[in-house]
Amino acid sequence: MAGSSTSYYFVIIGTKDNPLYEAEFGTFKQGGDGVPKFREEQRHMNQFIAHSSLDCIEDLQWASKEMYLKAVDKFNNTWVSCFLTGGNIKLLLVHDARSDEPIRQFFTDVYDMYCKTLMNPFYEVNMAIRSQIFKAAAKKYL
Amino acid sequence: MAVPLDLPPRSLSAMGTSKASPMYNLRSSVVSTGSTTSLASLFAGTGASLPRDIVDDIKSVIHHAFVPHIAVHVSQDVNEIIREKGLPDLYQLIRPYGEKVQGRITARDSQGSSMPFEDFAVRGRTAPGAGTGAGQWDGGSAEAMNSEELPLVDELLDLHLSHAEELIETSLAAETEHHTGQAFYLLYLRKLLSGFPVTPHETFAHPVACLIAISSRNLAPIDTLRQLYKTGAEMDIPGYVNKEYLRYYVLVHDEDNDDIQKSTALFEQMKRHFGLHCHLLRLRSSLCIVSDEDSVPLAKSEWLPASEELAELRSRQDDEIEGESTSRFIHGSDESAIKTMIREMVAQSVIPFMERNIASWNDQILSRRKGLGGRMLSFSRRFLSSTATRSTTNSATASNFDLTTNSYDPITPEAQMRKLADWAFMLRDWKLAYDVYNTIRSDFNNDKAWLHVAGAQEMTIISLLLTGQAITPKLRADTIDVYLDAACYSYVTRFRAFYAALRCLLVTVELLRLAGGSSAELAAKWAIRSLDLNVQPTVGKALISQRVGDCYAVRQGAGSGGWGGRRRKAAMWHILAAEMWIRLGKFAQARHCIDVATPRYSGTEFVFIRRFLEQLNLDSGHVDLLDLGSLKLSGEKEAQNGGGESLVDLADGDGDVQQQQREREKEREKGEDGEKPRFDRKRRSILIPQTVNGDAPGMMTMTMDESFDDRPL
Repeated sequence: MAGSSTSYYFVIIGTKDNPLYEAEFGTFKQGGDGVPKFREEQRHMNQFIAHSSLDCIEDLQWASKEMYLKAVDKFNNTWVSCFLTGGNIKLLLVHDARSDEPIRQFFTDVYDMYCKTLMNPFYEVNMAIRSQIFKAAAKKYL
Repeated sequence: MAVPLDLPPRSLSAMGTSKASPMYNLRSSVVSTGSTTSLASLFAGTGASLPRDIVDDIKSVIHHAFVPHIAVHVSQDVNEIIREKGLPDLYQLIRPYGEKVQGRITARDSQGSSMPFEDFAVRGRTAPGAGTGAGQWDGGSAEAMNSEELPLVDELLDLHLSHAEELIETSLAAETEHHTGQAFYLLYLRKLLSGFPVTPHETFAHPVACLIAISSRNLAPIDTLRQLYKTGAEMDIPGYVNKEYLRYYVLVHDEDNDDIQKSTALFEQMKRHFGLHCHLLRLRSSLCIVSDEDSVPLAKSEWLPASEELAELRSRQDDEIEGESTSRFIHGSDESAIKTMIREMVAQSVIPFMERNIASWNDQILSRRKGLGGRMLSFSRRFLSSTATRSTTNSATASNFDLTTNSYDPITPEAQMRKLADWAFMLRDWKLAYDVYNTIRSDFNNDKAWLHVAGAQEMTIISLLLTGQAITPKLRADTIDVYLDAACYSYVTRFRAFYAALRCLLVTVELLRLAGGSSAELAAKWAIRSLDLNVQPTVGKALISQRVGDCYAVRQGAGSGGWGGRRRKAAMWHILAAEMWIRLGKFAQARHCIDVATPRYSGTEFVFIRRFLEQLNLDSGHVDLLDLGSLKLSGEKEAQNGGGESLVDLADGDGDVQQQQREREKEREKGEDGEKPRFDRKRRSILIPQTVNGDAPGMMTMTMDESFDDRPL
C-alpha cells in the first residue's frame, strides 16, 4: 500500500463490546498529513472488522502473557492489531500494512494515557472518552 | 428431512397469480416471515452440533456427487419407442430413476465386510458420439476444468432464487423457512457438482458401465447389439478413458405392439450370446396422459447439469406462455419396470463388477507397489532409467506419464490405481480410497504430473474427512492445510482450472464444517479463500459469503460468555452477505441474513454499524425483530386513541398469533436478560396494509426510526 494512502482506524473497546473511543487518522509518515482517506463504505467495515476480531482476541488473550497481541486478525487486506489492558479493555488498530513495532510504541503511549484517564475520579470503567489526546500519539509513530 | 429443492413445475407460473392483490406490499409479509425465522435462529443456535437432518443433507449431496457413471448407448428403434411415449430418448427416461436406486444396495469393502446403502445412485450419461451429450466427451484436459460451468450455475441459481422470492412474498411464513436457510446453498453445491467434466486426472466421469439397448422391433437384434458394442468401443473417446467398462445389454419390449413370447425367446438368445448382464425391459409404447388410469409423473432429475436445466426451464417458460402443461407422465407399470431394471443392473452387475475390479487391482497393483518388492522395483527402475532411457527418443524419464496429453494410458499402474481409488470412493470405502490416494500422490509427484497430484491431494483430504477420523490440530496443520493449499495452487496457477479448485474447496469446507469445533473455523477460512479465487459470479459469491457466516456460527463458545466462539464473525459475514443479496435484489435472502445477524448487533454503540444496519433494513424491507414488541404496543396505543377503526391490531386479527408472540417475547426477555433498550428514539407509527392472511387487507401499525442520533466521533 502506498504510504500516502495508509489510513488507520483506532478504537478502544470496553468490556461489553462497547466502543469507548474512536478515531480515524491517516499516516503522518512520508509527508502524510494525518487525514484519514477512508471511503464511505470502508467506515462501517472498519467497525465490523474491529468488532469481529474480538472473537479472535478472546481466543488469544488466554494463550499469550503479553499485553500486546500484535496482529490478531486479517480481513482481505486489512489487519487488526490489539493491545489488551489489565482490565480487559481492548485497544484495537485497524490498518492495511503490517508493522508491529511502530504500532507497539503507539499502543504503549495510548495505554499510558488511558491509565491517566482511569485515574480521573469522575471517570468510570466503560465510560466513553471524549478527550482527543490519543490522536497525538499517532503523530509520533504512525 | 428432504427439502424439495427443485421448484415444482407450477412454480414458474406462480408469477402470474402473485400480484393479485393491489395492496401488495413488500413489508406486509415480512412481519410474519421475519419474526419466525429470526426467533428460530435466536434460540436454536445454542446447540453444540448441527441437527441430524442437516448433516444427512450435506453428506448425501457429497455422496451423490461421486457416483458411478453409466453411459447409455441405444439403437434407433429403441428411441422410436420412447419418442412415441413423448420423450426424446431412453437416456432421458431412465436418468431420473438412476438417482435413487430403489431399496437397499449392499457392497463389500476391502475388508470383506458388507456395507448397506439406502441411497445408492448412479448417474446416466449419453454415450460418446450419440448426439445430444457429445459435448461432454471432448473436454480432454484441464481446459474442461475451468470456469465455463460457473456462470451457468450462477444464472440457474438466480432463476431459482427469483422464483422463490415470488413465492415467499405471496405465501405464509411456515412455507418459506426452507427457502431461506441453507437450501439454496445445497442447490448451488449440487449444481456445481452435477457436471463433472471428463478429465485425465480423475475417473469419476469416466463410464463404469455402458447400457446397450435394442428393442423388440429390431429385425436383426443380435447383429445390432454387436454393432452397438463395436461403435461404442470405436467412439471418439479420449485415449485416457479406459474402454474396458461393463456392458449391460437391455432388450426393450414394446408391450402394446409386440409379442412377449417372441421377445422372451430373443432374450434367451441374448443371454446365450452375451452372458448374464442382460435385462428385458417391458415398456408400453403408447403416450401416457394425466387422465390415464395408472399415470405417474415422470420423476425429475435432481442432478441435471446447470446448462441442461437452464435450457429446460427456459423452454418450459415459453411453453407455459402458450398455455400448455409440460409435465410429463408415464405409465405406472413403466416406472416400476425401469426401477427394477436399474436396481438389478446396479445390484447384480455394476457393483459386483466394481468389487471384482477393486479386489483384483488391489491384489495385483497396490500390494505389489506397497510391498518391499514393489519399492525395490520402482527404485531400481528410477535408478536405472537415468542411464537406460537416455538413448531412447521417447522422453527423458521412464515414467508412464505422457506429457503431450497430460495423462496416463489407462493400462499403466498409475492410471489403474487412480481408478481403484475412485471406484473405492464411489462404493464409499473411504479408508481404502484414502490409502490409495495417499500412495499414488507420491508417484504422480515423481512424474511431475501436477494435475494428477492436485487431484490426488484433493481426494486425499476429502476421503480422509469422510472416514470420520478425529481431526487433530496436527492433522489439520500438516495434511489438510498443506494439501488444500497445494491443490489450489496447482489448479489455479498451473492449469487455471477454477472449477476444479472451487469444487475442491467447497466440498472440503462442507466436510470441515460438519466436523464442527475448530474445524469449522478452518472451514470458514477456506471458504473465504474460495471467494478470493474470484471466479464465482454474483450469486455464488453471496451464497458463499453467507456460508462463511454459517461456518463461523457452527463454532460455539464455551461457558456462559461463549468464549472462543465466532459469533461476531458469523454476524459480520451474514451482514456482508445481506448487503450482496440486496444488491442482487434478493430481499428474502437478505432479510434472512439480517435476521440471523441482528441479535449480535442489538444495542451496539458503533455508530456506523448501526447506521449501516438501518440502511440494510430499509433497503430489504426488513422489520427488526426487536421492534416487534414496540409494534404491538404502539398498535394498541393507536387503537386506544381511537386512531382508526380501520386499525386491526395484530393481536385481534388472530388469537394464536398473539399467543405465540407473547411467548416469544417472554423467551426473548429471558434470553437477553438485563439488556437495555437500544437507543432512545422517537417512534412514529405508519400504516401499512396487511395481507398476511390473504383475506381482506386489514391495517396494522409499525414503527420506524425517525432518526438515529448522529453522534460525531
